[in-house]
Amino acid sequence: MTELIPPFDFQRVFIEPWTLDWRVFLWVVLMGFFVAAACGLTGVYLILRRMALVGDAISHSVLPGLAIAFLAGSLAGGGTVAGGESHDLRNPTLMFIGALAAGVVTTLLIELIHKKSRVKQDAAIGITFSSLFAIGVILISVFADKVDLDADCVLYGEVGLVASHPFVQLGGTELAPWPVARMCLVFLATGGLVLAFYKELLVSSFDSGLAASLGIKPGLMHYALMCWLSVVVVSAFEAVGAILVIAMLILPGATASLLTHRLPLIFLWTLAHAALSAVAGLHLAIWLDCPTAGAMVVAGAGLFCAAWVFSPSQGLLPGLRRRLSAAKVEAPQFDDAGGVSPGNPATPVARR
Amino acid sequence: MLRQPKIWLLFALLLAGLLPAEAAKIGDLTDTNVLDQAWRFFSLRDPSLRAVLLGSVLLGVTCGLLGSFIVVRKMSLMGDALSHAVLPGVALGFLWNMTKDPVAIFIGATIAGLLGTMAVYAITHTTRLKEDTALGLVLASFFAVGICLVKMIERLPTGAKSGIDKFFFGQAAALSTEDLQLMTGVTTVVIAAVLLCYKELLVSSFDPGFARATGLPTRLLHHGLMLMLAAAVVIALQAVGVVLVSAMLITPAAAAYLLTDRMHRMLVIAAAFGVASGVLGAFLSFLGNNLPTGPFMVLAASFLFGAAFLFGPRHGTVARWWRQRSRSQRVERENLLKAIFRVLEDREFRGEGATLQELCALRRETIEQIRQAVRALRQHGMATFDEAGEAVYLTPEGWQRARAVVRNHRLWELYLTNEAKIAADHVHADAEEIEHVLGEEVVRQLEKGLAYATRDPHGRIIPSSAEILQDDPGRRPAEGMVGYGRKT
Amino acid sequence: MSLATPPKPGPENRELAILTPGQTAPVADPRALPLEIHDLTVSYHRKPVLWGIDLQVPKGKLVGIIGPNGAGKSTLIKAIMGLLPLSSGWVKIFGEPFQSNLRRVGYVPQRESVDWDFPVNVMDVVLMGRYGRLGLFKRPKKQDREIARECLEKVKMLPYADRQIANLSGGQQQRVFLARALAQESDLYLMDEPFAGVDAATESAIVEIMHELKSRGKTLLVVHHDLPTARNYFDLLILLNMRLVAFGPTEEVFNYELLQKTYGGRLTILSEVADAVRQKTS
Repeated sequence: MTELIPPFDFQRVFIEPWTLDWRVFLWVVLMGFFVAAACGLTGVYLILRRMALVGDAISHSVLPGLAIAFLAGSLAGGGTVAGGESHDLRNPTLMFIGALAAGVVTTLLIELIHKKSRVKQDAAIGITFSSLFAIGVILISVFADKVDLDADCVLYGEVGLVASHPFVQLGGTELAPWPVARMCLVFLATGGLVLAFYKELLVSSFDSGLAASLGIKPGLMHYALMCWLSVVVVSAFEAVGAILVIAMLILPGATASLLTHRLPLIFLWTLAHAALSAVAGLHLAIWLDCPTAGAMVVAGAGLFCAAWVFSPSQGLLPGLRRRLSAAKVEAPQFDDAGGVSPGNPATPVARR
Repeated sequence: MLRQPKIWLLFALLLAGLLPAEAAKIGDLTDTNVLDQAWRFFSLRDPSLRAVLLGSVLLGVTCGLLGSFIVVRKMSLMGDALSHAVLPGVALGFLWNMTKDPVAIFIGATIAGLLGTMAVYAITHTTRLKEDTALGLVLASFFAVGICLVKMIERLPTGAKSGIDKFFFGQAAALSTEDLQLMTGVTTVVIAAVLLCYKELLVSSFDPGFARATGLPTRLLHHGLMLMLAAAVVIALQAVGVVLVSAMLITPAAAAYLLTDRMHRMLVIAAAFGVASGVLGAFLSFLGNNLPTGPFMVLAASFLFGAAFLFGPRHGTVARWWRQRSRSQRVERENLLKAIFRVLEDREFRGEGATLQELCALRRETIEQIRQAVRALRQHGMATFDEAGEAVYLTPEGWQRARAVVRNHRLWELYLTNEAKIAADHVHADAEEIEHVLGEEVVRQLEKGLAYATRDPHGRIIPSSAEILQDDPGRRPAEGMVGYGRKT
Repeated sequence: MSLATPPKPGPENRELAILTPGQTAPVADPRALPLEIHDLTVSYHRKPVLWGIDLQVPKGKLVGIIGPNGAGKSTLIKAIMGLLPLSSGWVKIFGEPFQSNLRRVGYVPQRESVDWDFPVNVMDVVLMGRYGRLGLFKRPKKQDREIARECLEKVKMLPYADRQIANLSGGQQQRVFLARALAQESDLYLMDEPFAGVDAATESAIVEIMHELKSRGKTLLVVHHDLPTARNYFDLLILLNMRLVAFGPTEEVFNYELLQKTYGGRLTILSEVADAVRQKTS
């Protein structure tokens, strides 16, 4: 067991990353934060619309889109991927087109299956994403020499290696590694979209009927959200892989909605969760010597559990204390007309 | 309930039909002779291939049976969450003695899977988070823990060559004898449980409230099902892999769901589809060199689902489209018959044929459209052209049908104006729809209810059923027939 | 002995005693009562849905449960069936706790509570009524099929026995549920809105069957939504709005004052009540 879990060395785990190799680890943490924040902000709407598992589906089915984009890129560029110098073969435009197409195809297929047959939505989601993901895995294993993606990357990404990518150069100074810069852009864009379309998204998520009557097309909002989700997922894909991205989508928003009921505060808590899980995950990964993306999700899950237990409004512990201290059932209050107002002290009570 | 010989026959046919179908499809995937490969694969001579085949059959049956209950209980994504959640258990089971000991892995994975389902239950019942969020959360968090554990194991000197990474996408070739024994055991238990508790599982899936009210231990059944599901996921892991094992639960069962309306048939068909996709997937990955098995099995299952979705006899899209099309064609034909009747009626039934010109004027269509429509009528033996092809004559069948449609239309108009008190100028559109769907029984009732009225609200004659039946071409010799539109 | 037992002690319930006019002859053997509820409280998240219900239902009666939306009508049925945890109180069926007298209770849930796309046909559903008597692991026998056929015949659904349940109209689906309850061959029937969304023919068929059951000495508890018909259908009425407002013979409790108590200040329903009462007095 001692081999499995390395001894905990405070110096190595907490001090050295920020003294010796801080250049590397800063970028890793920033990348983790941008990924979790961009995914988390989008994920809040998935949770609100009860579409968390559509996010699951899209994160899986982006894989064939990416694989096909890489294939197309390598066919256009000619030749095969040679060693580590693969960056040039990755055509970001193609990747985004592939991901968008995959996202739209997924959404359409799910809708097709569950509207045109009696298969329910949950089964439709399961069938769609597993088929597409299977196609993706087959593509990357059959065309392993042409597709610059390996199975490991699909499973848990490579956020730990982010600093080894070439840097964005601006006027001779190195700003940031390319993936970090791209993810930062996606995060800023997500934040901007959330701010710009705050009320439209809120209304269409809460009550699509009302949204339609206000002139906001719920169908359009749905597809726009799905498209943006595909963009975010594909940007996060290299960093965290196809499956862990689900955690990035759901964990921050879920933790936040345990802590508060107000949407603006949910967004703030989401960002806080993203930042905390990125930092904690990094240290966990250094300690246990395991994939950084996985460790970040484990840290995020730990934060969720903490919120679940200790949240003042809905946590298990405060709830337990309340249950112990108060009566089992709140007494109802009956007014004169015989109407009832269960436990609402604002209503006048008639007692003699 | 499972003793239907027809179904077993279908099952056998499916299996038999697989052989040529596969061989034909794989032509270009590999350079070696596909038929030779197929022979090698299915002749059961090679022991390792025999293991693969047996494993695929076992996992297909188990997943198909349990998947059917998962699909009808609308818990498909619980299967997905559970399959991801077993990963840390697999890693811990492996740690037990640093080998792929199937029993240790089985126990570890089953426990982890059950913990996952319990976590989903706890989250949905103690917080405001909805089930989909809880599922996604548990799925990804457990998977992350599993990934970290697996990578930590691989870092160990003994773990590096263990092949634990084969659990991600599945490698049926890696099945060992102990694996197969375990798979056989689980499959036997699942089949026995489904046979024994068929009625309990059925009623608690259909109407859980009623099941509890009749005293069935629904909660126990649910947990038992979850336990079996976790076990099924674990035995399918080796061959299909963590990521895609849920598809083997959902897809064959969903395909079966589209093909039948009875639960016991669904179970059998789902098991057959599971076996078919398992064997097909194993074979395909065997053809390619060392490709992962899971994705091919899933694709084979999706292919079967697609076929059921499109070509299912009752719920299939093609069948539905075909029914719709033939219905609309019938409506077209009946509308033309009605138009011919009107033309004849306007002439007070003097003369026998309706010219295409007259029909054009009445229906506001071009002469070509009318000619086309009359050809369809002729195909159905309801009308003939004259020599010049400019006039239409109804056959006795056509004449009878024409009068029946007109009768339906006018009866319904009269019914709406008399009984439902709708103004006479508002009833035509409604009657246009209903005239094609009124059955003889309803017509009889309508006629009786309207006291065998002879005039519709617009003052036109309503042909009576008695009269129409009298002219039944089947009852009278065709030669002696003197009907309108009959070419003499 | 009053049918409605003295209310829960507590200031808020003091006036309840005046509101419960159900006076019938005392029941000699309390064990013979089909249904006895004492101080039943059910709550969701600590908010009560039913509060201090006391009820004693005599044998061979048709009992309607009426009250506004959210009054806890369905909750009461479910609590009796033991489908919900009770915060306090007890329910006895024929003098014993529910679990030991399962076979004497038939249940008709709301139609929306199941997935009608489920791959079963009409016969399968009706046979489910026999499952409670079969015991674990046993399959339905020929005799059970015979009973199921008879029950289908009674609701005039025998010609549809082989139909998939999705291909039925709402009224037909409700009749299938009724046939399933009949197949349970129980002494006490609990029905959750059997008239919701059914056609007139089905409604009269259901009423007919209810009366037939009653004439055979069965007791029926029916959640009902429609006030005007409630007056005609039932012998006894339970007026419910979280607490028991009144319980007694229909002609005694179906009056403006008590209905107003039940429905509170809900104006639209009040006008409905006024109509119903006017109908009654005219």
